[in-house]
Amino acid sequence: MSSFEDADTEETLTCLQITLYHPDRLQAGRFQSLRFCHREKLPSHKVVNFGRHSSSCHYVFQDKQVSRIQFSLQLFRDFSSSVLSVEIKNMSQKTSLFVDNHELGYLNKVKLPPKCILRFGDYQCLVEKEDGESLTFFETQFAWSPTSLLEENLRPLRTPVPENGSHSTLGSTLPTEMDENEL
Amino acid sequence: MERPLTVLQVALHHPTQGPAAFAKVPPKLQLDTSPLLLGRGQDAHLRLMVSRLSRQHLSLEPYREQGSSLLSFSLRVLSRQGCVWVNGLMLRFLEQVPLGAVNRVAFAGVQMAICIEWGISLEAFVCCVHLSPSPLIYRLKAEETDDHDEIPPQQQPPPGGSGEQTSGSLGFLQDPSPTQDSALQPSPGGGTEIQPRREPPEEALC
Repeated sequence: MSSFEDADTEETLTCLQITLYHPDRLQAGRFQSLRFCHREKLPSHKVVNFGRHSSSCHYVFQDKQVSRIQFSLQLFRDFSSSVLSVEIKNMSQKTSLFVDNHELGYLNKVKLPPKCILRFGDYQCLVEKEDGESLTFFETQFAWSPTSLLEENLRPLRTPVPENGSHSTLGSTLPTEMDENEL
Repeated sequence: MERPLTVLQVALHHPTQGPAAFAKVPPKLQLDTSPLLLGRGQDAHLRLMVSRLSRQHLSLEPYREQGSSLLSFSLRVLSRQGCVWVNGLMLRFLEQVPLGAVNRVAFAGVQMAICIEWGISLEAFVCCVHLSPSPLIYRLKAEETDDHDEIPPQQQPPPGGSGEQTSGSLGFLQDPSPTQDSALQPSPGGGTEIQPRREPPEEALC
């Protein structure tokens, strides 16, 4: 009981939910070093490298098309902010890294929005940040997607289904662009 | 042909401990594109024997500004206890700031001047350390400058994060006369801007 009473006050941790997709995900071992659906606690001052080189990278992709260090994530604080932000840096000289539609060349870095899609090679990663109280630690949690994340996000909004269950012909009544000369 | 490396000319001074604080600091080291760590711990690249220092106190991280072909550097505070003054701006745990061509940094009683000499290689960079017998910083806080004040040309970061080489001399950092440069703060775009003042710390050097 005393250890419970003396323990530091528990704080919620900022969590990075990372959902991975690769068209050939079943290739043996590609993600074998990643523990899916498991939260890993990391110190927030640590630079977290992703890539092929197991001694340089915390998260390893078993894929020769991935650079030894593909990219790095590091947490920082905006001035006087109590929230951790995340910065990504492209460490690959050969492959561009896309954060949504923003291209990062070698050693370029950018602050990640709370939800974004990373792309490099054939890989897609949906990164979602859940803010927490702790500034000392953060967590990562990996999941994989069986379908392309781009298709998920680029898919047009579904036609709303009215409560009576019948589909309207909303699609055909949407305004379409016309050239002035067509009038 | 070898491409010239970017060089961080680092001058160090401790007002009370003197050179003993820097006995384990190598005069020169070369790193790849991973951050340079400064602290008291054994894993620090620049290991300072200062008890008030955290094991990892700060890092100097190389990166490239968008559209630039040269390395830029940012300083990030890794110490949870202490703070770090960078060009008159006080930074706390996990706060970071891009560095300009010439920078004054103070932490845990240590004074440090960092002068960046740009090379074209993006593979690695070099850190050259000099010990200074005299103080490097006379005023921690940024002073607001007049709009018409001119920026000394040797202290401007390269346009868009790239540009001409600096002289490499750290001598002017020891000039105790008031200058505008301590108020200058590199912006993420590589320009300079005046940062808002922060309240002074309880201690002269945090």
